[in-house]
Amino acid sequence: MDHHTHSTVGPRELQMARSMCWHCQSEVAGEYFCDRCVKVQPVSKELDYFTCLGFPRRLTIDQHQLEAKFYELSRAFHPDFYQNKSAAEQTISLGNSAMLNTAYRTLRDPIERAEYLLDLEAGSVKEIRNSPPADLFEEILELQDTLNEYRAAGRASETESTLRAKLQSERNTLEQRQRDMEATLQQLFVQWDTLQDRGEATDQARAERDHTLKQMRENLSNRTYVKNIVSDLVSTIG
Amino acid sequence: MAYSDKVVDHFNNPRNMGSFKKDEEGVGTGMVGAPECGDVMKLQIKVQNDMIVDAKFKTFGCGSAIASSSLATEWLKGKTIEEAQKIKNTDIVQELNLPPVKIHCSVLAEDAIKAALADYQKKADGILTDAK
Repeated sequence: MDHHTHSTVGPRELQMARSMCWHCQSEVAGEYFCDRCVKVQPVSKELDYFTCLGFPRRLTIDQHQLEAKFYELSRAFHPDFYQNKSAAEQTISLGNSAMLNTAYRTLRDPIERAEYLLDLEAGSVKEIRNSPPADLFEEILELQDTLNEYRAAGRASETESTLRAKLQSERNTLEQRQRDMEATLQQLFVQWDTLQDRGEATDQARAERDHTLKQMRENLSNRTYVKNIVSDLVSTIG
Repeated sequence: MAYSDKVVDHFNNPRNMGSFKKDEEGVGTGMVGAPECGDVMKLQIKVQNDMIVDAKFKTFGCGSAIASSSLATEWLKGKTIEEAQKIKNTDIVQELNLPPVKIHCSVLAEDAIKAALADYQKKADGILTDAK
């Protein structure tokens, strides 16, 4: 297996720190295996999941490519292959496997991937939190009241069926809204990737990036609120 | 993870659940949310002569979030604006014995108190300016 090829990463994105091989002290240039003594190297805790899996900080990721890279590294780090190696190597293998699994789980899901990217980029965006969407909150709290009324209503009563119909229609509306939000998010992901690909360092480019991140944060938060009330609706009216 | 008895008590018998009209005189409204978990909290205070005479809340979220806001309204009643400013999320954590994973619920409650106080202050200042 060739561990020195990062087909999915250009030199610009590869930001792994140069460090020293723990075993033979030769310089390791951001690879998982030492050039000289071929010993496995610990994945730095500082390393972000994108870099860990050899992907640039983009939000559109080819699932097959991601999976392939995950399997490749899983095989390389798997504790089973280190049973006859030194204790140090066994520890590294365990640590790397754990990190790899978390990295893969995070990047596999588009929403979690975006949340993670926002965490990574939050430092560059001041005050990334937007003001809370008061109207949406009012709506949610009002809906909660209706849900409570429904739960309290007698089985098969007239009130129950009226409320049920109301909740059902609310559910449809909210589910549609969640889909709309996800479509918007998809557009924002593409927008982010375009900006990343351009890679400009001008003030304007930075402002555009920050703006995109802010919109993403807002959409992701609102989606969580809507998703929560929808799942409450679904579990109550079935 | 089991909830503490106090959380269960507030959850089963929430104090001061409900709401005031937003534009009612002396009412301050704090509306906050936790984007990570999707919890939503609305906390309102009613102020007369710098004293919080009543408080109400509505929370959509987990047991700890409900208990935190319920407790907050209990504490707010009878306090002056100045005293209310001093309520800290750590006080709530201590009183309700919240585990580390639920500390953010108490933070949300503190944020809600701060937001309600700020909203009241803003309204009060507005009235003063109008009167001039």
